[in-house]
Amino acid sequence: MSDLVIQILAASMLLATPLLLAAIGELVVEKSGVINLGVEGMMLIGGLAGFIALYQLQTSTCTMLIGDVCFTAENSVNQFQYIGSLVVAALVGAMAAALFGFLTQYFRANHIAAGLGLTVLGAGLSNSLGGNFFGVDYTAAIVASVPPLFPENWSEVPVLGPLLFSQNLLVPFSFLMLVAVWFFLNRTRAGLVVRAVGENHHSAYALGYPVILVRMMTIMFGGAMAGLAGAFIVIAQIAPKWTEGITVGKGWLALALILFATWRPGRVLLGAYLFGIVLALEPRLKAIFSNMSLEISYFLTALPYIVPVVVLVLISRNPVMIRRNAPASLGQSFEPRS
Amino acid sequence: MIRLIPRTQFGFWATAFPLILALSITVVVGFLVMVAMSEQPLSDTWTLLTFPWQARTASVQWGFVLQKSSYLAIMAVGLSIGYRANVWNIGAEGQFAFGSILAFGAYVLFGMPDTVWFLPVMLLFGVLGGVAWALIPAALRVWANTNELLTSLMLVYVAANVLNYVTTGPWKGDPKAGQAESDPIHESLRIASIIERTDFHWGVIISAGAILVLACVVLFTTFGYSLRVAQNTPRAQKFAGFSPQMTVWMSFVLSGATAGLAGAIFLSAETGKLIQSENYLNGLGFTAIVIAFLGRLHPIGIVAAALLISYVNVGATYVQSASQVDDSVAELVQVTALFAVLGTAFLSRYRVVFGRPDLSTEGAA
Repeated sequence: MSDLVIQILAASMLLATPLLLAAIGELVVEKSGVINLGVEGMMLIGGLAGFIALYQLQTSTCTMLIGDVCFTAENSVNQFQYIGSLVVAALVGAMAAALFGFLTQYFRANHIAAGLGLTVLGAGLSNSLGGNFFGVDYTAAIVASVPPLFPENWSEVPVLGPLLFSQNLLVPFSFLMLVAVWFFLNRTRAGLVVRAVGENHHSAYALGYPVILVRMMTIMFGGAMAGLAGAFIVIAQIAPKWTEGITVGKGWLALALILFATWRPGRVLLGAYLFGIVLALEPRLKAIFSNMSLEISYFLTALPYIVPVVVLVLISRNPVMIRRNAPASLGQSFEPRS
Repeated sequence: MIRLIPRTQFGFWATAFPLILALSITVVVGFLVMVAMSEQPLSDTWTLLTFPWQARTASVQWGFVLQKSSYLAIMAVGLSIGYRANVWNIGAEGQFAFGSILAFGAYVLFGMPDTVWFLPVMLLFGVLGGVAWALIPAALRVWANTNELLTSLMLVYVAANVLNYVTTGPWKGDPKAGQAESDPIHESLRIASIIERTDFHWGVIISAGAILVLACVVLFTTFGYSLRVAQNTPRAQKFAGFSPQMTVWMSFVLSGATAGLAGAIFLSAETGKLIQSENYLNGLGFTAIVIAFLGRLHPIGIVAAALLISYVNVGATYVQSASQVDDSVAELVQVTALFAVLGTAFLSRYRVVFGRPDLSTEGAA
């Protein structure tokens, strides 16, 4: 039984990490007063970019390439190639976010419309490029799994093995980023500027802070984190594989997480792991109760989307809490008074 | 130095100039996309722009365009009502699915009648299904202050699972089909084509009628006026005695109703049966959001945008079959158009002024 608990915990870490990464990025974006609904789109574009990069890195070092498949004896990617693909994913995510930033910050487009547009763009672009990018069909491309960070036999250590030593590089990175973002927002001067811009952009502007520039930077940081989250889903969550619309609403879950967390980093972590456990429970419950009725089985599949709704309802019933924590300029275009 | 000066006068050009600019940007970028994706961009672009006359039967191609644009336009008009008042229903896809499900449910419930007179009942139940599904986020918004944008979106995935459930469970049809699907409805309940062998069917006319009614509501009634007030000055809405709660309810009821109607028409005209969500829901509800913004939330603009985007979409499908250019070209053109329209919208509120500030004339403004 305790084996099962550890299994579920390990799986929920895998499922919570992309949510955590994307939510941390979007948290900083929203703290600066911008609401970017394009998280899902940036995850898809970033994820595909990371996958393409990893495939290219793998085939470039492959000594025995037949068709699209690498037949080298070890047939694996190393940690450096993986990190390289993550950098590409983050850069592409940031570029997609910059497009949103230009539209909303310089051309004063509606944040919500531009964000939804970015989601549509991400879905469309990743679908078409994933099917054919310079002659390679990435839905059929085969990429070896990323090796674990620690030596393989460490994963047999009880409890700590599956939870700590067999995890992917991005899992500890997500915790690190969480702490870094908390420290940045609450303990540094630059973080104070970001929050000032988010609370009242006119005051921040009057104090001499470059409102638009600060927002562009947070937007691109959010895009980079979303790109990493997408790359994690595509490359590390199961095995490296690209399919159309692979994120199935994880970007929206990340947005829901921020509301759930009322813009506090610590609660983002809590929420991400809550959603992670719900996502991890579904296949295991189905495996244990294999003779469950069809109704319950489909209810369980829909559960990861029902739980956020219920959680949001419980959180939002207290409007004071939302109002007290929400950045006051959230979603408003900055138009300097002349 | 480039500066933006708020407009004080809103003439014809304040509206027309951004749209012309956006259209030009879309045409240029669209052509560049074509150059990147096609081997003979000039002839393929020509084919894309004139495809109804290239094909053997122009009426069939026009049928595709009208049929597709009718779904998009009616859903977009419904959504735009809420968007005008900052009520964000982005779950039209789910309401579309639930409209289809309830329309089929009515068909099963009433003992599968084999008469064309049952068709209005089916459409009515489709509308009710869409409304019912849309009322969930509306109620949560009004009673529990929950962000309607996220809840309406989450419910899309729930609705897709409901659709999967009914097609594999209670209404499972032919088990030998390659997909989970229900039994087909009677032939008499399939909406008939107006022109033989085309997709131009009576559903298009029904949608057009519904759009006309909604357009009149938005443009000429007190309710429509209250939405415009809510759009431009949210605080004035309260002072004027318009209830924000009522705005939320009405926005969701109307957008749910249009999406549900579209779902019921789709069921009757296109597939004739429910199919598992992956093969039944093809993103019309999400495209409708783009159309709503492309039309700048105005009914006339939305109809124009829906026709234009459907034309490019069907054209891209035609070009794909004719000369192996991937039809995702349409999607890219669509997003380019959206970003161009969003990115130029500020020009209707501001004048762009080049050069140093001239304090003698503008300093007072």
